[in-house]
Amino acid sequence: MRRGFLIGGGLILLGLMLQLGVGPVMWDTLAWPVNGIVMAAFLLLIAVCYLLRKKVSLCRFVGTYQAAIPALVYAVVLTIVMGLIRQNPEGRWLDNMLVFWPFVLIYVYMALILGQVVIRQFVTAFSHSRFHLPNFSLLSHLGLFLAMTTATLGNADMQRLKMVTTIGEREWRAVTPYGTIQEMPMTIELKQFIMETYDDGSPKRFASEILVRTNDNEEIQTTIDVNKPVEVDGWKIYQYSYDTQMGPQSQISILELVSDPWLPLVYTGIYMLLAGAVCMFIFGGKKK
Amino acid sequence: MSWEQFIYFAIAAVLLWIVGAWAAWKSKTTVAYVTTALGLLVFLSFIISLWISLERPPLRTMGETRLWYSFFLPLAGIIVYSRWKYKWILSFSTMLALVFICVNLFKPEIHSKTLMPALQSPWFAPHVIVYMFAYAVFGVSTLMAIYLLFKKSPTSTLNAQTSLDNLVYVGLAFMTFGMLFGALWAKEAWGHYWSWDPKETWAAITWFAYLIYIHYRRLPSHKPRLAMWLLIFSFILLQMCWWGINYLPSAQGSSVHTYNMQ
Repeated sequence: MRRGFLIGGGLILLGLMLQLGVGPVMWDTLAWPVNGIVMAAFLLLIAVCYLLRKKVSLCRFVGTYQAAIPALVYAVVLTIVMGLIRQNPEGRWLDNMLVFWPFVLIYVYMALILGQVVIRQFVTAFSHSRFHLPNFSLLSHLGLFLAMTTATLGNADMQRLKMVTTIGEREWRAVTPYGTIQEMPMTIELKQFIMETYDDGSPKRFASEILVRTNDNEEIQTTIDVNKPVEVDGWKIYQYSYDTQMGPQSQISILELVSDPWLPLVYTGIYMLLAGAVCMFIFGGKKK
Repeated sequence: MSWEQFIYFAIAAVLLWIVGAWAAWKSKTTVAYVTTALGLLVFLSFIISLWISLERPPLRTMGETRLWYSFFLPLAGIIVYSRWKYKWILSFSTMLALVFICVNLFKPEIHSKTLMPALQSPWFAPHVIVYMFAYAVFGVSTLMAIYLLFKKSPTSTLNAQTSLDNLVYVGLAFMTFGMLFGALWAKEAWGHYWSWDPKETWAAITWFAYLIYIHYRRLPSHKPRLAMWLLIFSFILLQMCWWGINYLPSAQGSSVHTYNMQ
């Protein structure tokens, strides 16, 4: 296991040098098609590493418990640091772990190990003269790999915009997290803002009756509640906020519009992990 | 039904569980099953009537989650007992449940009726209940690890180690359900499935920590005692995720998971 700890330590050192040399990880530069190319290159790296496993001892090592356990230990330690230090979206070091190279490299290394394990378990399942039922942990490993990689790479393509709608007016402009205005491929008209309160005045329900008109002149009349977003043309529309000074008399409703093209891939990973957990519950740690 | 009546249900349930634990020591298996099950039934009837009177699932405050924890501990205990027949497991689970019941009796928190819109979701109950069950199973497995570390000689415990592994697999499966239900819910409620909110960060830490245990145990050259220490350490991390972050300076005001603190 010493080798695994050394590799992890080396990655952290490399990360620190990158942090000093090129600065924090710039996730925004991964926007499509860069993230697609990076994903393809990463899959290729995993495949090459697997093919070289008999020739290069490092490639063989990466698929072992002796590699996985230290990688997990490093991930836990760095994530604990993240949990103990207040995170700040403007931060550049430990106060913004998501752009801190050592943190990112350890998670990438973990994904590389996962990739090796997935291929090996997959090949084992099919390598005999007839099909063998794969080890259930293949589901968990593949699910985690898929969810982790696509969530990370897809993040740059995710758009989260706020739209302030006013009763009786058509709105098509939304505000990006950077404060710039973006025109939407649809207009949203707030028909009515609904609010119910508990006896103590705290909100029980707030919702918006809206009329959405898409660019194809399709009209959709719907109600958006907290916890009940509506999807139109690949955009999920959420009830976000309202004029809290006015309360039930609010004339505006703030909606959030979210587009995340990589979501189906992430969800595929999540569902595989869930299925893997069902198998884990049923079969436990039984060794064959 | 309200918290005022809790003490009667709690006393009845704990008495039944104590009889069950005693019966397990005396190898009276049937008595152990029946009394523990009756105790669970009494306790569950309080939870359900509280649910009805609150007009919402009792899952929001720390006191309410402790209620579920006190319920799931003997449940996890009886499941372990039925599979591996440890005489001591019901005593342990009863003792631990009693601790949580006492906390609820002597340090009651304000239990309000209101449930904010963000929590009104079909995901709410499964997300929290599944997590509480996982925590209970990990609580039992931690006690078992401590017992094996300090009470028994390592040579006679191979079977016990295997059943400890099985417990961790069950706990980890449920923890995975809890975490991913949370992710699917977060997408519906907040627009994103994972935001590295302090609660999520600590949930990931805990999940990885238990992954270390199960992978380490599969390493042929592993040290069993170190594995048990790993379990104890993971359970400490779990406490941080469960309630520790409410007191953690780095998480103050930045977590969307602190509904119970208002």
